[in-house]
Amino acid sequence: MLALAAMLPTARAAGDMAVGGKLYAENCAECHSVKEGRNKKGPSLFGSFQRKAAALPDFAYSDALKASGIAWTQEQLDAYLTLPKKAVPGGKMKFDGLPDAKERADLIAYLSTIK
Amino acid sequence: MTLLRSFRRCAALLGLAAGLMAAGSSHAVPSYARQTGQDCVACHVGGFGPQLTPFGVKFKMGGYTDTDGQSGKVPLSGMVVGSFTHTGKDQAEAPAPGSRLNDNRTLDEASLFIAGKLADQLGSFMQITYDGVGKSSSLDQMDLRFAHATDIGGKDLILGATLNNNPGVQDPFNTLPVWSFPYAGSPLGFGGVETGTLINGGLEQHVLGLTGYAFYDNSWYAELGAYRGLSRTAQERMSLGTADDPGRVAGNTAYWRLAWFQDLKRQAWSAGVFGFNAGIQPDRLSGGPTNRYHDLGVDAQYQFLGTRDHIFTVQGSHIWERQSRDAMLAAGEASHAGGYLRETKLNASYNWLQTWGFSVGRFLTTGDSDATLYSANAHNKPNTQGTTFQADWTPWGKEGSWLAPWANLRLGAQYTAYSEYNGAARNYDGSGRKASDNNTLFLFAWTSF
Repeated sequence: MLALAAMLPTARAAGDMAVGGKLYAENCAECHSVKEGRNKKGPSLFGSFQRKAAALPDFAYSDALKASGIAWTQEQLDAYLTLPKKAVPGGKMKFDGLPDAKERADLIAYLSTIK
Repeated sequence: MTLLRSFRRCAALLGLAAGLMAAGSSHAVPSYARQTGQDCVACHVGGFGPQLTPFGVKFKMGGYTDTDGQSGKVPLSGMVVGSFTHTGKDQAEAPAPGSRLNDNRTLDEASLFIAGKLADQLGSFMQITYDGVGKSSSLDQMDLRFAHATDIGGKDLILGATLNNNPGVQDPFNTLPVWSFPYAGSPLGFGGVETGTLINGGLEQHVLGLTGYAFYDNSWYAELGAYRGLSRTAQERMSLGTADDPGRVAGNTAYWRLAWFQDLKRQAWSAGVFGFNAGIQPDRLSGGPTNRYHDLGVDAQYQFLGTRDHIFTVQGSHIWERQSRDAMLAAGEASHAGGYLRETKLNASYNWLQTWGFSVGRFLTTGDSDATLYSANAHNKPNTQGTTFQADWTPWGKEGSWLAPWANLRLGAQYTAYSEYNGAARNYDGSGRKASDNNTLFLFAWTSF
C-alpha cells in the first residue's frame, strides 16, 4: 500500500513556497489570479498544478496551447516557465521566462499549493 | 484680464508652453481594464493613471489593442475631477470668470474617452473634455495608433505609428512633460512654471502629428515624425477657440525620441534623449518672420516594483531650448534675437499597498535675461523653482476592489511651494508679491469609470 502511494504523482512540488509566493507576486500576479474563476489577461491559476493545459472553459486560450496536449506537471511547468515561447510556440503568454532553476522550483512549489 | 488669460496671452506671445499653470488632470481609463481583464494596478503605479508600470508601457506601445480574448468590450470611459484650491496669498485678480481671489471650489473637468481597441492592430486614446473653469468642451488629448508585433532573428519587434495632437503625448515613459508628475494640477492656482519650453505643452491640441516608432528586443525604443499646425478654422471647428492660437506652424517640424528600457520584473528603468524643432509664425502671413524653437532633452527613470507592496520610483528630465526670436524681435516683443530656456524636473514617489501614494517633485526653470520678453519679471528673467508634495489615496483599482473594473477613485492633497517665481523670491512682479505667496494647496477628487 505504501509502495503504491509512493508511485502516485506528488500533489505538492518541492521548493520554497514562501519564496515562490514572492516570485509569483513579482512575475505573475499582473496577469494571473490565484482566485478560483478569476481570469485576467491570463487564466486563473487556482488548481492549475497537474491539471491539463487549456482546461478552463471560460478562458480564451491560444490554439497552440489547446493543441499542446500537455499537463502542468512539475517537469512541464519547469520547461514552460524557462521559456514559454519555446515550450509552446504560438502561445499567447508574453513572459520572457525565469532562467534560474531554483526560482522556477520555488514558484512551482507555490503554485502547487493553490487549490 | 484674469491670471489664466494673462498667462495664455504670454504663452501665445512667446510661442511657449502654458501647460503647467493651466494643468488639468492626466488620465486613467477603466475601459482598458475591461478590455484586458487586468486590474488598474497592472498598468499604473498606485492603481491610477497615468504613471505606467512596465506592463502599461508595453500596452501603450502595443497600440492599446491587447485584450483578454473576450469579445463585447466597449472602448468608452469617463472621468470627472473636482478640487479645492488655496493659495498662500489672495491673487491680484480672480483667476477665472466667476471665481474668487482665493479658496476656490471647482468642477475642474469632465471627460469622455474613446479608449481601447478599435480593430486588430488599431487602438485609441482620445479624450473630449468639458472644462469646468472655462465652461467649454473640446477635443483634448488624442493618440490614435497602429501597432504590429513581429520578430527579427528571434527578438521581439513592435512597429507602430501614432496620429496625435500633442508632441510627447504618445511617449510611453513618464518623463516627458506631457505625462510627468504632478499628474493633476490646480486650474485656479499655481502648479509649476509660467514660462515653459515648446515641448512642454506649447502646441498641445493645436497641431496634428504623425510619427512612426519601433520597439526592439523589449529594450530599444526609437520614434521619428513631424507635426503640422491646425488652421484657425480647424481650431474653431474643434472648439479650441483662437485666443490660444500659437500661429502658423512653419515647415520642418521634427519630433524624435530614442530610449533604452529594461523590464526586470522586480525593477525597471529607462533612459533616453528626445528632441523637437518647430518654427512658428505668429501673424500667419506668408513671408512673415518666424520664431524658431529647438528643444533637446534627456530623461531617465527607475522603478523598484518588488511584490508591488512597496513601490519606489525616481524620474528626471532636463530640456534645453534654443530660441530664435525673429518674429518677436520684429514685433518689438523681444530685445534679443536669440536666447535659451532650461527646464529641470526630478520626481520621486513611494506607493504602499498600491493604495497610499507619496510623491515629491522638484522643478527648476531658468532662462536668459530679456528686458522686453520678460519685462514683467524680476531681473527680466523667467526663472522659477519650487517643490511639489503630494499624498494620495486610491482605494480601488486592485483585484477584488469594489466596482472593479467599472470605476476607480483617487483622493489627493498636493502642495506646491515656490522659492523663486518669475525671476525672484521677493517682489517678483514689482508690486511686492513674493514667490511664496503663490504656494498652492490643491485638494482633489478624481474619479474614472
